[in-house]
Amino acid sequence: MATELTAQELWQPFEPGRDGGWDLRAAAHLFRRAGFGADRQQLEAAVQKTPLQVVDDLLEGREPAEYSTEMQTLATAAISGGNVEPLSAWWVYRILSTPAQLLEKTVVFWHGHFATGADKVTEPQLMLTQNQLLRRLAFGDFHQLVQQISKDPAMLLYLDSASNRKAHPNENFARELMELFCLGEGQYTELDIRELARCFTGWEVRRGEYRFNRFQHDTASRSFLGASGVLSGEDAVQVVLQQPQTAEFLVGKLLRYFVLDEPAGQAELTAPLAQQFRDGGLQIRPLLRTMLSSRLFFSRRAVGRKLKSPVELALGLLRCLHGTTNTVELAQSLQQLGQGLLFPPSVKGWDGGRTWINSSTLLGRSNLMRRLITSENTRFGRLPLRDYLSARGLQKPADILAELELLLFAVPLPAAARDGLLSLMKSGSDTAVAEGLHALCTLPEFQLC
Amino acid sequence: MRHDRRGFLQQVVTGSAVLSFGGVVPLPLLASAARTRAERILVVVELQGGNDGLNTVIPAADPLYRRQRPAIGVPQSEVLSIADGMSFHPALRGFAELLEVGQLAVVQQVGYPQPNRSHFESMDIWHTCQRKDQQRPDGWLGRWAERVQGVGGDTRALHLGPEKLPFALMSRSVRVPSVRSLEEFRLRGAEDTQFREAVQNLAAATRAEQDDLLSFVATSTTSALTASERLATAAKAAATDVAWPQSGLAERLRTVSQLIRSGLQTSVYYVTLGGFDTHAQQPDAHRGLLRQLSEAVRALLSELQSSGDLQRTTVMAFSEFGRRVGENASAGTDHGTAGPMFLAGGAVRAGLHGQRPDLANLQDGDLQFSTDFREVYATVLERWLKVDSSDILVGRFQPLDLFSA
Repeated sequence: MATELTAQELWQPFEPGRDGGWDLRAAAHLFRRAGFGADRQQLEAAVQKTPLQVVDDLLEGREPAEYSTEMQTLATAAISGGNVEPLSAWWVYRILSTPAQLLEKTVVFWHGHFATGADKVTEPQLMLTQNQLLRRLAFGDFHQLVQQISKDPAMLLYLDSASNRKAHPNENFARELMELFCLGEGQYTELDIRELARCFTGWEVRRGEYRFNRFQHDTASRSFLGASGVLSGEDAVQVVLQQPQTAEFLVGKLLRYFVLDEPAGQAELTAPLAQQFRDGGLQIRPLLRTMLSSRLFFSRRAVGRKLKSPVELALGLLRCLHGTTNTVELAQSLQQLGQGLLFPPSVKGWDGGRTWINSSTLLGRSNLMRRLITSENTRFGRLPLRDYLSARGLQKPADILAELELLLFAVPLPAAARDGLLSLMKSGSDTAVAEGLHALCTLPEFQLC
Repeated sequence: MRHDRRGFLQQVVTGSAVLSFGGVVPLPLLASAARTRAERILVVVELQGGNDGLNTVIPAADPLYRRQRPAIGVPQSEVLSIADGMSFHPALRGFAELLEVGQLAVVQQVGYPQPNRSHFESMDIWHTCQRKDQQRPDGWLGRWAERVQGVGGDTRALHLGPEKLPFALMSRSVRVPSVRSLEEFRLRGAEDTQFREAVQNLAAATRAEQDDLLSFVATSTTSALTASERLATAAKAAATDVAWPQSGLAERLRTVSQLIRSGLQTSVYYVTLGGFDTHAQQPDAHRGLLRQLSEAVRALLSELQSSGDLQRTTVMAFSEFGRRVGENASAGTDHGTAGPMFLAGGAVRAGLHGQRPDLANLQDGDLQFSTDFREVYATVLERWLKVDSSDILVGRFQPLDLFSA
């Protein structure tokens, strides 16, 4: 695609032919980004439809009722011991098994956006309640999402707003509402923070639920971000959401999460989408639809231009090869690689991009791939790896390599690497295939998505 | 895709019983390496979240302090008196002892003009010495590493800890390794030579395309493989009889001590202690953090003293800002501005430096800084690491008198 397309044109729907091929490779890209990855069967089904149909299917986000019920049962079991770690493992299990990939991928986004750490909240039921809130509203109305997260008990505890009293307001939530949730740093003054914090005085948590304590609520007139008057906390959230910057801020963040890590000329690129998002009343589903079916999304500016998060790395390998594993161990490994689900490093969530990568995480990523591939607990379509591949007619190293490249790689392998990989796998034994896959997953290219 | 529900339940049950998030397990380091040494060592301790400086180095006798902090002020009967009416928080007993033996310098009221009260922005300012509207692709220690690269085979700087690589260590051309634990800092399968060499060759293979993100990952992979081999073969430092406290920070500093004593030619080590964002119920949390800091640093210094490495080591602790002078209703404090920095080691000029906090002269309820943090950095760069600081700090800052000659 010509790189001279305007920002407007980049957001037009991808048209196979004009904008490149709609083939297995393009479909694999879509599933890696709008989910965690697809196996060959799913890819072959996808290319029978149009890209927009596939995106719309993903945006349905519907889970069969029995699946949701089962997940609820498992979640209840996971929190019964009073610890959050099993709930983190439950979420990994959910990501691995969900039929609604994009929904789950978006929930992970919101978790990073409205980052709430179980190390401080400690009560697993509250973490689960928040997780369900994020899932319920993941594709919905951003106003509603912010209003509800503002009263979410886990959030209230995490940002100390539960002890925000009239005599001495606590500024933590007010600051992060503007800096991290809606506007971005520098879009408000310190005075705005102090005024806004007073609107949330008296918002408390009582027996695990939000409660408004009118005796601790400051009812004086307030003035911030150009609004003034006697404002309730709900009014105050609305004032923040009405800032035009909200759309720009959120679109920029979604762009970096779903499309590309390092957008050159981001302001120009986001402007048309931010306009659409504002005009549509901050509805999330149509925004994602435009992004994920755009010419930009399927172009060389986007394909392979993201670094995989640990979740994308590990769950991607498993989902592409029908893998199942011990998710308790996997959840712990993800934490060690910097992405413990329900344990974000700070209220800022995960920065993503290059910050995923350093010497430790690269070695840790490679070691995790080895553990996943060789673990007794890992099965691929209920089989050991080599049997799984054989059952699909993949026995020769060259065939295996070609298939894995299609399923797992966003960018082509360097020609020089191919020979080394083939010679590692030469004998075709269980060990040789496992070593080959491990080496493949240690390639710099494997970190890209 | 079918999933095994019973299997998941079993994992949850057995998993939760054995869940533990252990920290550093020292790797039995292998062969003995030549004992060539980095001449001087800087250990940076980042206190994350905004340390309440006023309850760390306390103007305990100041009536304004009592008035602003009726609930969370540290009682005068408990503080450890230093000098000039200033005192340490009682949890800083280790620091008080270091001060007594001439191994601790406190720089008071460190900050910068037009302070930013966002954790992330203020931390970025401390890490890069640049404001948000300026280009900042790298950090001050990353720029330092670029200038001294090529001396010896070991990495110039090393980050130890579970968090992402600090911005301060980022550079456009040098990849500073980040080590979560020595145990994890090894490539599994690398004991097989054929596999190890294959992986090294794959990482180093020529890439046809000039993709910035890909070449970043490729150079990072190569550097990770090299560093992990070097750390695995670094000499195992002899155990000492120093009693290390049990804490995350102590574990990381213990690894630092091991690497310093083993003769690794690395000059800068970087560790982080989080949790200082004490908006609510501050006193207990803050006491625990200060104790952790002071005891871990004291243990490090004492071990390095016994190995003869103390004279070539300086520890520097900082936080992105201090906290508001007036307490809030949650027995906590909100984001503020200036705060103290600490320098510890065998070569520091011990005692209190800089101006004491002036509670009668606040700006919007916040302390005003009297020493720019870049003056402290300039001191460390010029007087300790012996390099010119003006490029690194993007400006000329006057070094302070913090080291004995």
